[in-house]
Amino acid sequence: MSQYIFKMPDLGEGTVDAEIVAWHTKPGDLVAEDQLIVEVMTDKAAVEVPAPVSGTVVSVSGAPGEKVAVGSPLIVFELNDGARAGPAPAAPAAKAPVAPAATAAPMPAAPMPAAPAQAAPIARLAPTSPATRLGRVMASPANRRRAHEAGVDLRTVAGSGPGGRIVRSDLEAAIAPSAVAKSAAVAAAPETTEIKVIGVRRLIAERMSEAKRNIPHFAYVEEVDVTELESLRQHLNLSAQKGAALSYLPLVVMALIRVLESFPQCNVLYDAARGVLVRHRAVHVGIATQTPDGLKVPVVRNAQALGLWAIAAEIRRLAERARTNKATREELVGSTITVTSLGKLGGIASTPIINAPEVAIIGLNKAVERPVVHQGAVAVRRIMNLSSSFDHRFVDGYDAAAMIQALKELLEHPATIFIPR
Amino acid sequence: MANMNMIQALNSAMDIMLGRDPAVVLMGEDIGYFGGVFRATEGLQRKYGEHRVLDTPIAEGGIVASAIGMSVNGLRPVAEIQFADYIYPAFDQICSELARIRYRSAGEFFAPVTIRTPCGGGIRGGQTHSQSPEGIFTHVSGLKVVMPSNPYDAKGLLITSIEDDDPVVFFEPKRLYNGPFDGDPTKPAVPWSSHPKGQVDEGYYKVALGKADVVRLGSAVTIITYGTMVFVAAAAAAAMNVDAEIIDLRSLVPLDVDTICTSVKKTGRCLIAHEATRFSGFGAEILSIIQEECFWDLEAPIQRVTGWDTPYPHAFEWEYFPGQARVTRALKSVLEPA
Amino acid sequence: MRMSNQSRLHLPRVPARPGEAPDFSYVQLSPAGAVPRPEINARARDMMSLSVDMVRVLNDSGEAVGPWHPHLDPSELQVGLRHMLLTRIFDDRMQRMQRAGKISFYIRSSGEEAVSVAQCMALRPGDMLFPSYRNQGLQIARGIALVDLMCQLLSNTRDMCKGRQLPVMYHSKAGNIFSISGNLATQFPQAVGWAMAAAIKGEDHLAASWIGEGSSAEADFHHALLFASVYQAPVILNVVNNQWAISTFQGYAGGEQRSFAARGPGYGIAGIRVDGNDFLAVHAVTQWAAERARTGAGPTLVELVTYRAAAHSTSDDPARYRAKDDAEHWPLGDPILRLKMHLMKIGEWSEARHQALTAELEALVASSWKEAATYGTMSEGPRLNADLMFEDVFKEMPQSLKRQQALMRAERS
Repeated sequence: MSQYIFKMPDLGEGTVDAEIVAWHTKPGDLVAEDQLIVEVMTDKAAVEVPAPVSGTVVSVSGAPGEKVAVGSPLIVFELNDGARAGPAPAAPAAKAPVAPAATAAPMPAAPMPAAPAQAAPIARLAPTSPATRLGRVMASPANRRRAHEAGVDLRTVAGSGPGGRIVRSDLEAAIAPSAVAKSAAVAAAPETTEIKVIGVRRLIAERMSEAKRNIPHFAYVEEVDVTELESLRQHLNLSAQKGAALSYLPLVVMALIRVLESFPQCNVLYDAARGVLVRHRAVHVGIATQTPDGLKVPVVRNAQALGLWAIAAEIRRLAERARTNKATREELVGSTITVTSLGKLGGIASTPIINAPEVAIIGLNKAVERPVVHQGAVAVRRIMNLSSSFDHRFVDGYDAAAMIQALKELLEHPATIFIPR
Repeated sequence: MANMNMIQALNSAMDIMLGRDPAVVLMGEDIGYFGGVFRATEGLQRKYGEHRVLDTPIAEGGIVASAIGMSVNGLRPVAEIQFADYIYPAFDQICSELARIRYRSAGEFFAPVTIRTPCGGGIRGGQTHSQSPEGIFTHVSGLKVVMPSNPYDAKGLLITSIEDDDPVVFFEPKRLYNGPFDGDPTKPAVPWSSHPKGQVDEGYYKVALGKADVVRLGSAVTIITYGTMVFVAAAAAAAMNVDAEIIDLRSLVPLDVDTICTSVKKTGRCLIAHEATRFSGFGAEILSIIQEECFWDLEAPIQRVTGWDTPYPHAFEWEYFPGQARVTRALKSVLEPA
Repeated sequence: MRMSNQSRLHLPRVPARPGEAPDFSYVQLSPAGAVPRPEINARARDMMSLSVDMVRVLNDSGEAVGPWHPHLDPSELQVGLRHMLLTRIFDDRMQRMQRAGKISFYIRSSGEEAVSVAQCMALRPGDMLFPSYRNQGLQIARGIALVDLMCQLLSNTRDMCKGRQLPVMYHSKAGNIFSISGNLATQFPQAVGWAMAAAIKGEDHLAASWIGEGSSAEADFHHALLFASVYQAPVILNVVNNQWAISTFQGYAGGEQRSFAARGPGYGIAGIRVDGNDFLAVHAVTQWAAERARTGAGPTLVELVTYRAAAHSTSDDPARYRAKDDAEHWPLGDPILRLKMHLMKIGEWSEARHQALTAELEALVASSWKEAATYGTMSEGPRLNADLMFEDVFKEMPQSLKRQQALMRAERS
């Protein structure tokens, strides 16, 4: 019976590590090749990792939220190329008083939380009692310090090292679920609940902080009379296929693409390392999408080459993929400008945060019927605000305003969106 | 710059100091007319005269005692003890007198004597030509103890030791006189000319005492060593592809504790290597200091690679000598996952 | 293995154990003035009789006779008498201070005053002295202030050794007296090295060192003679044969079979045996050896035959190993009394002057003690700062010692 050590694969684009999102297997499980065993995440994309071999899981490394370096051991399999695995070969008879046995059913170390957004990390195979060797805990000085800093009592940690020694991964396993277990295990409503900032949330947090920190945002809000636009939209939707109805979004995107022809300075990416603005001919539009995991921005690539229905379809497709966590890395990077819309939840004004390294973000607020003065008389018109943010280092107020005015013009006279130059 | 082996580097140091400071005199058995049994003082008597490069009787106690007397009279003697194995007759004068003159006279008198002596094995010299007694002298307050591992350091450290107003016991690993040695006796000898530290400035320069040399930066384990073991440990680590941070102490007293602790705190793992016998060897002191200062950063027990606790045998040279196999085993042990 | 009770091992004979009658028949004497005075550049092998005979100038009547008569000016002899008397009074007072608990330890040189004083006066100020712990006459003769000596004994705030040494381990850089070591004989070859350096530098200074006959058993004695001989170093090597080394009689140092001076010719070094209690003889022999060394004619081994009239130190009680009245029967008398008698004989001294001098010196010692005590004693007054313990280990205090110093301070607070 040989062992196979599966190391964290290189997920491309020079990733050096990936974050464990969720385990889909635990020590003791018999898995087939290609079976999903773990989800990991790089900068934006979640990756499902299939089993590289068939076999029994001996041990796993890394708790959810923890980063594992590419090339470091992730899972150890026992291959089914013989009888079922006996005692672990690594421990010589003389050394360990309690040899870990693989035949018994695995004993979970930490209680499983009730709300499994993340599955609790799996305990080692048949861990020995923490109190071994004359009732004293065995752990290296460094691990004792880590335990102390994390507030973990080593006597409650199962040790999977030689002689029942608590090794680092035992400790990590003990630290991670404690935050979740604390909130879930208590029957009565707790005073506080702790949610670890990991995964997509952590990424979002980092990117938002960075954008806000580095970019001097200035906001520009304008109201747009979308009565005509609404009329067009409804007319187009009469002939739309089921499930393919248009929202304002694809229409705004099309208008935006037209406007960017005259305002190319808003379709740039800022390369801070080189101090260079990279102006793009193509328009790759990021569509801010709310997903169960948080905000994601899939990208409609080369939107300037697409027609209205194609853009709409692509937006739909990307949103679906983002929401179901299937969007690839390519689908989540490369936008040159972003559009954000909360639809009915849009409010009347907002201050969207620029999707760095872009220099502009256009936000759609709610479209509502309002009494306005139209052609000299009070009328009920459909009004939708556009709340946009610009990077004031590279986009002057005049240009921003002019661009939004141009956009407004197109949207208020929707036929002009489709008139070629 | 010139290619120099360690002997030539030491010779150069003494040559420069004899030329620079008229108070410097050399003394020892066979060092004058003959130039020393290892040729370390070759040509110096011819150049500076019999009254500055003195042949002495075969009396280590007398050599050190008269060196002390000379230094009290304003000279700066560099005394050679032909083999470190023969230093014991001088032990009383070194430990009871040389080490304490400044202290007991409250600085009115001091003895700026440098004692040079070849040490260490790997040369099939048996128990009277292979010992490494440096640890014994580190235990005596008032003595500085130095051991270079290469020509560049040897010259700079010897110049610094001679200029130092405190007594210095300067150990020269004789196996390294002609080239680095990685512990494998079956390989052809490598000369210093093929090693960067065999490039030595021909003029005057100093290498400070109390400053260790980080020979290789690394992150997986800290190897603390000196003398011949610098090369043995480096070779073993390289063969195992271990990203070892290798520290050549160069000075045992004063000891560069900061460099040691910074490294061990970084890697969390430590291996100490010296040729000298194990029990109460200098490695035990280093280990104790690390335990005191870096305990909470240790991922694994500290390993020592040393000679065995036997007199240095003749026929069992390579079983005695702490070669790469011993280092490798210790590295495997110290690198076990925490 | 069967041990027979008929050991054939010879053991040196020790005369006059407690309860026995004093017996100094083993001491080889020569009549005053009988031993010839060789040329200062005579070869060692041509003057071998001087290493077993005894150079004497003062006869038992206090007259100076023979070829070794130094013909010193009476004023110089009076100075010598003063130095010797001061040494004795100082010794006696310090002994009492130790018994009174004011100092922790003391070593007297009772009966050996001429050895240090006469020899010192025959040397020049630029000559370096490497004494043992029983040569305080050298300090006195070189004018080291009594207060300074006393502060060292007290280990007080003015201690020249800053609290590091046992009492009596003096040094004087200005007075060219090397730091005294508690280890026996170590100074002997160091003196030779100093002399070698003087020769290398082309100077005509010389070094002189003192060792007890008991300590001459140490290897350092051999190293000193060997190096002195090989390099013909300008050094005077003195063996003070005061018969006893604590309870070790001089026979255990080899004196039963051969004189100590006779070892000199064995190394090719001139050896002279002299009456150590005869101020004039000691001065004369030292002056001969100094001239010999200074003119490049080589080193001299001098054996000064004297008697350790008191105990080895304040920790010793000689009544436990030798006859109580032994000292009184010493055939070569007392150095102070003999010089006094000689000076009176030549009309250059009187009982009244002696008493007056005694009183003057006792007053000097008393007033010096009073002053020294103001700098602190074992029981009261200012004390040395223990921080000094960590200084002068090296020229610069290293980090490791700074840390220990801080730990020590923390312990005490």
